[in-house]
Amino acid sequence: MKLLSSMRRQRALLNCAPITARQLADRRMRSAVSRADNSAEFVDQQNFDRALARLVRLISIPAESAEWFSEKDLVPASKRTWKSMVRNPAVLAISTAVVVIAGVFVFNFVSHLNDFPGSATARKLLGVAGSTRSVMLDPVNAEAGTLSDLFFMKHGLEHYDIPEEFADFDTIGCRVFEDDESRRIAQIWLSEKRMQLFLFPAERDSKSGAVLQFPGWRYVHQEGWTGAVTEHSGVCFMAAIRGGEKDLAPYLTPPKE
Amino acid sequence: MLGDSRKAQEIFHATLREAAGRAARGDLPEEDFWLFRDARWRCLEATKSDLQPESIEMDERDVAPDSESQVQHLDPLQLAIWISAAPDPQRSALALFYLDEFDYQEILDIAELKLSELSRLLATGRRQLQAWLDSKFPQPNKV
Repeated sequence: MKLLSSMRRQRALLNCAPITARQLADRRMRSAVSRADNSAEFVDQQNFDRALARLVRLISIPAESAEWFSEKDLVPASKRTWKSMVRNPAVLAISTAVVVIAGVFVFNFVSHLNDFPGSATARKLLGVAGSTRSVMLDPVNAEAGTLSDLFFMKHGLEHYDIPEEFADFDTIGCRVFEDDESRRIAQIWLSEKRMQLFLFPAERDSKSGAVLQFPGWRYVHQEGWTGAVTEHSGVCFMAAIRGGEKDLAPYLTPPKE
Repeated sequence: MLGDSRKAQEIFHATLREAAGRAARGDLPEEDFWLFRDARWRCLEATKSDLQPESIEMDERDVAPDSESQVQHLDPLQLAIWISAAPDPQRSALALFYLDEFDYQEILDIAELKLSELSRLLATGRRQLQAWLDSKFPQPNKV
């Protein structure tokens, strides 16, 4: 039964066998033709078909119809609209990637726009300020300005001076610790708006060893905290507060005489 | 398909105009061979109102080994008229097949036929054509 059906199918394929070999792309057709290639009946059929196809090719195409094919823009290419281009998944994916990359570049550019020597350390210390609890510090009840002597005498830290803008504020506690680069950091907790002060070595030129100075106060921001940093005698001072620049700005204006 | 070059040209132009319009509007159908299917339906539509050939039992003969020489005597227009006089879907099958542009699967798609149907239509068409050729150009060695 299966054999009969297969033979019937092969016969059906042979009746539809292409006139030229270029159309023998179909595997089943190729197989049917190769099996019947030598049969007289199939050879006659092929000769008959070829003769008729040659005759058909002699039918001339009217000039008016032939003109359609001489025109370059027979079918005008459909104009691509912005909408269709934007909806293209490839365009969408590339645009998203470009926007993300551009966003990262802009973010990095803007965040480094106000960079200054020591800004990276200052940002790290803002993170420390956010995670510090008062019990971690040695209780000290004094004016902040007086702690410079303590840092020098107890820890041997020279020029760890508190700027005059913050020297008069009362302290709650202080400590000296080493950061992950073994730099010695002094941290002071003030009672004033629970502000924290940091003193740390200023950055130096890697070749000459000279201190990389910068004038005035510079702001840094990290995790909701804002720091105002200044450098003096190779030591950076940072006042850190939870909030924005406007919360720190009033402390940085020189006191009126 | 039509056996009338004027009608064929009209349908050709109408089909291409439709295609150009659709392309300009950007709503070209996605399926393959829609243009040929469209042209075929237009041809069938155009011949609907024409006088229809009487359905008569046509002679059939096996394809002869020397049929090639008989075909050589034939005028292309005669062949076109013979094919256009065949009832559809045999007319579509023969026209598409002898254009030598489509393989059998494409013809099945355009003419909306099954393989067994296309096979029968082509085989019968060949045998009828052979009988017609024999009547038109009798071979001297045939009785």
